[in-house]
Amino acid sequence: MARIIKVSNLNYRYPDGTTGLNDVSFEVEEGETMVILGANGTGKSTLFMNLTGILDGDGHIEVMGLLLNKINLKNIRRGMGMVFQNPDDQLFCPTVMDDVSFGPLNLGLDANQVTEASQKALALVDLQGYESRTSYHLSFGEKKRAAIATVLSMNPRILLLDEPTSGLDPRSISKFINILYTLKSQGKTLLIVTHDLFLTQEIADRVLVFSEEKRPVAIGNYKEILNNYDLLLKNNLVHQHRHRHDAVVHEHEHQHGYIHKH
Amino acid sequence: MKLTNSLLEKLDPRTKIISFLAIMLCMILTPITRMRDFGLYFLLILAIGFFSNITPRQILKKVCILIPFVLFIAMFVPFVKEGNVCWSLEITHWKLDITYEGVWTFLNIIVKSSLSIFLLVIANATTTFSDFLKGLDMLRVPRLLVMLMSFMYRYIFVLIDEARKLMRARSLRYFGSRYKEQFRAMGYMIGVLFIRTFERAERIYSAMIIRGFSGEILSVKRFRFSTMDILFMVGIIVSLVCIVSGLVNKIEHMRVSGAHLWQGL
Ligand SMILES: Nc1ncnc2c1ncn2[C@@H]1O[C@H](COP(=O)(O)OP(=O)(O)OP(=O)(O)O)[C@@H](O)[C@H]1O
Ligand SMILES: [Mg+2]
Repeated sequence: MARIIKVSNLNYRYPDGTTGLNDVSFEVEEGETMVILGANGTGKSTLFMNLTGILDGDGHIEVMGLLLNKINLKNIRRGMGMVFQNPDDQLFCPTVMDDVSFGPLNLGLDANQVTEASQKALALVDLQGYESRTSYHLSFGEKKRAAIATVLSMNPRILLLDEPTSGLDPRSISKFINILYTLKSQGKTLLIVTHDLFLTQEIADRVLVFSEEKRPVAIGNYKEILNNYDLLLKNNLVHQHRHRHDAVVHEHEHQHGYIHKH
Repeated sequence: MKLTNSLLEKLDPRTKIISFLAIMLCMILTPITRMRDFGLYFLLILAIGFFSNITPRQILKKVCILIPFVLFIAMFVPFVKEGNVCWSLEITHWKLDITYEGVWTFLNIIVKSSLSIFLLVIANATTTFSDFLKGLDMLRVPRLLVMLMSFMYRYIFVLIDEARKLMRARSLRYFGSRYKEQFRAMGYMIGVLFIRTFERAERIYSAMIIRGFSGEILSVKRFRFSTMDILFMVGIIVSLVCIVSGLVNKIEHMRVSGAHLWQGL
């Protein structure tokens, strides 16, 4: 497998002086799914903004063999799609179709290809028939899916998803996981920021954990990370599980995909 | 979902923009004293309305919502306009004069704006906003303006929602004392709203450039003038020419004089 993203010694400081990223280095292989875990405010979104060249940090970023700089930026963006945390930022056109075809049109495809790509993307997220709907009037889950379709229609090699399942109900999440499986099987490289350990367990190949120091503290195979309870606890990714059996309140470690007996 | 689209909905947005603008322009430039012309304009608009799927009830409902605003603005005109007094009202030392000029101006505003509103309601009901924007774009309206309208349409509700949430958060913690403090709270709220809007704009712009935006709005939807468009436009133009040139009056005149001739025989 070839290396598709390489980040080394990336630093970013926001204009107001807040540290966004603190000496971040890691690599991503082509076709793998990497889940990025981390508590709130640890720099995950900031990292994505740097990878897409929206924010310009100090350090070295290489994407698809190209150094991220002004000259290569356009080419890199052709192959990399990013879905924002808030779908209202992603959907800015009057109708869903306008939004989904926005990317492919800018890629310079002709009208037929654009329509085809957009239809395909909408079908993948199960939103056929929503073409002329106004994004403002969609439900939150529909907005989330439409937002993903706006990027899928560009058929990127790398997908950056910032908390794609937050605010979705359990059934929508499991549907969404199916979409991710489809993308995985197409050989796409996925970078997913999430707080959802269940999602991580389902789809991650490797996991990157961000700490309060705004840098990765651990990277590794998903089993290895998810089984490292101390690491997860220290980084606020799990909490002591407290619950009640009639009158008895008791606490124990948090475990996922496992129903304990009492 | 409607099963059939009316003729007016099938027309190219450009056709509608041009013809409706032409009608409004002609109406506005017609002196108010030519009352008969306005009757004809009314008939023309009715005829246009006939080609849409909306019922007169729906149109009237919307027109009735808008008319009061116009009325409110126009209401005071008869009193303030200088000119020949036609009626004056004296309450002790107050004197209100209504002038002929004022009444005509009042009528001018009311008649023209009612007819325009009528036309706009029909236009609005048969054109989606995005089609309207695309029509404007194709008519070479400056792109920046079109985009501004598009974003306004998309985000005005988001903004209103945000403002409403802030108000709610405030009122949940406000128990009706120290009203001076409230002004400060209001100031903060406006500030927060401004910053949020600004940052949202930045994020939206990022979302656009990531998807390859380079300053040009492109669209898959292609509009083409059909025979229907041409027929519609020709129909409108012919009607307008007839009304403006007073052709209808002349024909009427001919009929009347023809009748005289007939009687004379
Ligand atoms: N526009 C900004 N200006 C200043 N500081 C910012 C800005 N955006 C984020 N930060 C700060 O940068 C740090 C990293 O923020 P970031 O949004 O990347 O966190 P995150 O890991 O995505 O968190 P979350 O899980 O809550 O989305 C935080 O300390 C945050 O306060
Ligand atoms: Mg974030």
